Amino acid sequence: MPRPQPSEITFSIDGREVKAPEDMMLADAAKLGDIEIPVFCYEPKLGPPVGACRMCLVEIEGMPKLQTACSTAVKDGMVVHTRSERARVAQEAVVEFLLINHPLDCPVCDKGGECPLQDITFGWGGGKSRFIEPKRHFRKPLELSPLIAIDRERCILCYRCVRYSQEIPEDYQLVLLERGAESFVGTFDGHPYVAPFSGNIVELCPVGALTSRPYRFRARPWEIEDAGSICTLCPAQCNTRLTVRDERVLRVLDRNHPEVDDGWLCDKGRFAYQAMHVDERITSPMIRDGGVLREVGWDRALAEAVGALRRGGSATAALAGGGATNEEGLLLGRLLREVLGSSHLDSRDGEAVSLPHWRALANPKLAARVSDLEFAHAVLVLDCEPLDDMPILDLRLRKGARRNGVKLLIATERASALDSRADAAIRFAPGRGAELAWALAAALRGEPVDAAAQAAGIATDDLHALADALRDAGREIVILYGERVLDGDPGALLALADALGLAEQDGGGLLGVPAVANGRGLREAGVTPNAGPGLGLPALAGGHGAREIARRLASGELTALYLLQVDPVLHYSDAELWERALARATTVVAHASFLTPGLREHATVIFPAETSPEKEGTITHPDGRVQRLRVAAAHAGDVRAEWRVLAEIIERLGGAPTPPTARALSEALFEDVPFYGGLTLDGLAGRGLRWPELQVSNTLSDAYEEAEPKLRKPLRAAKGKLLVGTYRSIWAAPEVAASPALAFLTPRQRVELAAADAEALELRHDEAVVISDGEREVRARVVLRAAAPAGTAFLERELEEDGANVLRGPHVTIRTVASVEAEAAALIAAEEARAAAETETLAQAEAEQVT
Amino acid sequence: MTQALLFKDIDEPNLADIAVYERRGGYEQLRKVLSMSQDAVLSELDASGLRGRGGAGFPAGRKASFLPKGDMDKYLVCNADESEPGTFKDRELMQKCPHALIEGIVIAARAGGINRAFIYIRGEYEEQAQILDRAIAQAYDAGYLGERILGSDVSVSLVLHRGAGAYICGEETGLLDSLEGKRGNPRLKPPFPAIEGLYGGPTLINNVETLMTMPQILRMGGNKYAELGVSGSSGTKIVSVSGHVQRPGNYEIELGIPSREIIYGLAGGPPPGRSVKLWFPGGSSAPVLTAEDLDVPYDFDSLAKAGSMLGSGAIIVVDDSTPVLDVALKTARFYRHESCGKCTPCREGTNWTVKMLERIEAGEATPMDLDIMASVQEQIIGNCLCVLGDAMAMPIGSMIAKFRGEFEKHMQRAQLTGASA
Ligand SMILES: Cc1cc2nc3c(=O)[nH]c(=O)nc-3n(C[C@H](O)[C@H](O)[C@H](O)COP(=O)(O)O)c2cc1C
Ligand code: SF4
Ligand code: SF4
Ligand code: SF4
Ligand code: FES
Repeated sequence: MPRPQPSEITFSIDGREVKAPEDMMLADAAKLGDIEIPVFCYEPKLGPPVGACRMCLVEIEGMPKLQTACSTAVKDGMVVHTRSERARVAQEAVVEFLLINHPLDCPVCDKGGECPLQDITFGWGGGKSRFIEPKRHFRKPLELSPLIAIDRERCILCYRCVRYSQEIPEDYQLVLLERGAESFVGTFDGHPYVAPFSGNIVELCPVGALTSRPYRFRARPWEIEDAGSICTLCPAQCNTRLTVRDERVLRVLDRNHPEVDDGWLCDKGRFAYQAMHVDERITSPMIRDGGVLREVGWDRALAEAVGALRRGGSATAALAGGGATNEEGLLLGRLLREVLGSSHLDSRDGEAVSLPHWRALANPKLAARVSDLEFAHAVLVLDCEPLDDMPILDLRLRKGARRNGVKLLIATERASALDSRADAAIRFAPGRGAELAWALAAALRGEPVDAAAQAAGIATDDLHALADALRDAGREIVILYGERVLDGDPGALLALADALGLAEQDGGGLLGVPAVANGRGLREAGVTPNAGPGLGLPALAGGHGAREIARRLASGELTALYLLQVDPVLHYSDAELWERALARATTVVAHASFLTPGLREHATVIFPAETSPEKEGTITHPDGRVQRLRVAAAHAGDVRAEWRVLAEIIERLGGAPTPPTARALSEALFEDVPFYGGLTLDGLAGRGLRWPELQVSNTLSDAYEEAEPKLRKPLRAAKGKLLVGTYRSIWAAPEVAASPALAFLTPRQRVELAAADAEALELRHDEAVVISDGEREVRARVVLRAAAPAGTAFLERELEEDGANVLRGPHVTIRTVASVEAEAAALIAAEEARAAAETETLAQAEAEQVT
Repeated sequence: MTQALLFKDIDEPNLADIAVYERRGGYEQLRKVLSMSQDAVLSELDASGLRGRGGAGFPAGRKASFLPKGDMDKYLVCNADESEPGTFKDRELMQKCPHALIEGIVIAARAGGINRAFIYIRGEYEEQAQILDRAIAQAYDAGYLGERILGSDVSVSLVLHRGAGAYICGEETGLLDSLEGKRGNPRLKPPFPAIEGLYGGPTLINNVETLMTMPQILRMGGNKYAELGVSGSSGTKIVSVSGHVQRPGNYEIELGIPSREIIYGLAGGPPPGRSVKLWFPGGSSAPVLTAEDLDVPYDFDSLAKAGSMLGSGAIIVVDDSTPVLDVALKTARFYRHESCGKCTPCREGTNWTVKMLERIEAGEATPMDLDIMASVQEQIIGNCLCVLGDAMAMPIGSMIAKFRGEFEKHMQRAQLTGASA
């Protein structure tokens, strides 16, 4: 789907000559001439105009009727009058009509002061009302959901929220009920509107009909400040506008970046700001003292950490995650490599990926932009669930498929929310993304596929169907991949990119979804075992990746661990190994906002972490866009800038001094990372810059030699057992659990099963079960999902209780809690019976002896 | 005075049965179009000058020619929603002669190069739906519908779909949404259905009567058909006459005859001793005319010149026994009830108008309210998404303009008695 390239035309509006792209809607084109045409229902983000509210009526010469500017494409030579007598009369009429049933309760309305209805009434209304009949009444306000209140009296029936629900997340939950003047917005049977992106309707509503329940009555527009920021709760890095009152964040709004978020936010990003101001948040340093964590002053904590790290020396390892910035990553690298003499640092789970692989993956020629998802011929979603891993992309993919006919192809282990939108979807065996990529590359190249297909656990017919679909789709193809696909063999993805010729295509390429918000930036800043800043050779060779770090901590070879916004017991696979690793380590220094399980048990020093509104620095979007974080709110409690904490530790350990300001530190980063060379903080401004588009960027050569595929052995079915696959829900985050408004969404372990498997195991939906890999077990509720692939049980990762990373797989058994308990009871009973029998024989023997 | 084309055999016993219909020459025109080129069919329709019988009066041949040529999925939708108050012609036509509709559908499909057709029939027409179902099954069995009709390379499938009781689903784009399984709300035009209609494909939408006229046109030849009627309004029209007349019912007339001949000549005029006060010439959406207009020729252009419209061809007569306020209230309430609510002027304007009329009825209004009411009608007209808003505002506006004195008298009387008169 090539992007449209409109030509420029000239038209006249209210006597001004204005240039605009041809076919732009008049309502938008008018703005280019500094003329505002009032609109209510028009919102380009929602797709084609619907012409419902009639607010935008204008006069166009040569047309007998007034026209709606929101739906009239501008043409060369068009002559438009927005304030002619006829237009004015019609505009006043529409305002009058809209107000006759409006309660006019502006004084107590949250929208007051930032309300389009107020503004348009003032600007275009007739300033009078002739309506003296009774208005229509509804009970108000009502809960549309735990997050959103609806006041139906204020609703002007613009249809925005309903169109949103149907056209953007495509959840079809919101509908207009009844008709005519009795119409009202609602849901089927009054069910709450709970969905991952529901909060966007609050911002879309042009009146105070839909309001945020967490924000209701918290502030008035004249008491608040607006601050641009970026959400760092996932790699999407959506641009946000924060509503700040008295240095507290009270609301998160979108800051429409067409290349990042397209003007939407997920509910996590919109409401989890509450976690900034809750009691559970760590806001002062702590040390473990006599086995328990206790709050201390900064000096004490710093001294403790410095002493421990000095003892750790080159036996120290470090992990970074969460929303840690590039600058923090840079300093963490300096601390480890230059000060402590260790290169064991990583920013992702699993085994280390080699430097040539990272460099090849970062090749700008292979880099796809976010907006390519909307205009490519096809998108292959590979080994990720956008809705959970980078939520906002779910909306972008739907948009491309819906509006531009982008072919959507899905290759995942678990059923995807996008399946119903997809042109083709295939399932591979859990954890076998790399094998799938090899198999697909082979199919596209016309090479034998059997070995790889078997290792991937897919039927060759399905594989060829997918390959054909990709081949027939067109040249511009984007592969949206989860970084998990690099486990096993990172060469697989590169082979697939090569087979599709992605390096030669402008509108296609690779777009990787890291597990953490700034995964790409941390890597590029040098938080990876075998590369320094800018994916250059590290100052120290021989670094180990996360998995090896765990092994070596557990064996005692490494003794200290520095954790920057990550808790491997919660976030990484093999919780048991990490438990042992942390238990054995003599020092665990962590920057954290919440006491997650690994830290609660094992941290020796904890520094309070910043949230993104408190932070200064840069982060890098998965598509290479370097974005700037500015301070938007004051630090809570005793929180200090994390980069300063790292700098202080470096200095106390005798390292080279860190630049004195955040700005200077960012400049140092741009210097250290060669392909960030052209960047300046001011250049990043509010929208960021994609380094793969910068001229200086190509320090990464194309030199990459494909190696033979490394295929793992096929996963075999085992009688009475299922394979286990894992995923992380969008709601699996401490910030969700800690935000009062979102807490109701906190996930509890559930095991997703195909109906056939459930039947074979005699399990019912919602039944409580125990899942065991033979040694370890987790408890869960059964969830039957129609699209779940047979033979595999899916469990959630990153849960504080019963997280799937406790299990090792690949096979598990599932039994009901009831049967496990019955068995345990039987065992106890048997044991008791045996003991009773024994006592009896003993007593008898004694009695015999006595006699 | 009457001219029977569609109604020629209408009272033939069992005409709804395919054998009877065939005996009367039925399906011969279908056979004929199978061997004609698409362009030849189109040019017959064009030559006939047939204008749509559903309300808007758009030339039928021209509309069919708007559909893009090519292989994409195209659709024909027969609008059998017939919900315009006073209109009951399609009911009789479908009930008594369903096969002529099927034959017309195949002809129109041929003209548009279409092979999927639907009939959208209003939910209340249960009996007619059953008759159509039977007729469609017979036509399939006889090979007049389905793949390769009568061995030709023309294929047309036909599905009957029943509405659920909403006037707005007679509006062509609301109908399309409803047919797609959505809430029946009108769509923004352009794009017009001929370009982007049902399921996004090019779609031809015609009224039952329009389609049923097509076999007649092919039988007679377009030029011959055009000789009937008057210039700009060729052919015959079924007129539904109701209200205060002695012989209400459907009459087929040649277009262009004086309206008086229909109301008095055919329908017998008001009961003895009463006189025509006002009449809707084309369904309740048409601005009202008065006794002075009885000699206006009954055709599209003459009625438009007289300030009203031919619409669906439903004449509703109101005699001097009925207060104009009652007529206005009844009319306005209908449109308030049927407004889909999508656009502001219609949704709020119909509701406001009813409330004002109720206040007038209750004796709580002043002549100033009449001005407000008239201005509200003007605020609606031309400003809505579809023409349902206008369909209330135009008749109400015309009643205020033509019967202002009566409204004012009512107010005075009501104020004096302190209650509704
Ligand atoms: C509110 C409204 C209701 C309508 N109802 C009907 C109807 O019931 N039957 C009908 O044939 N046309 C109806 N129409 C007209 C249709 O929109 C359309 O013009 C017609 O079906 C086209 O067919 P024709 O060209 O054969 O007349 C209605 C229009 C409006 C605005
Ligand atoms: S609730 Fe708001 S967005 Fe939804 S229709 Fe009403 S005014 Fe529009
Ligand atoms: S999609 Fe990600 S970055 Fe965007 S708002 Fe949600 S959590 Fe934040
Ligand atoms: S004019 Fe009335 S019926 Fe037509 S779209 Fe508007 S509200 Fe709906
Ligand atoms: S903004 Fe144009 S009709 Fe609503």
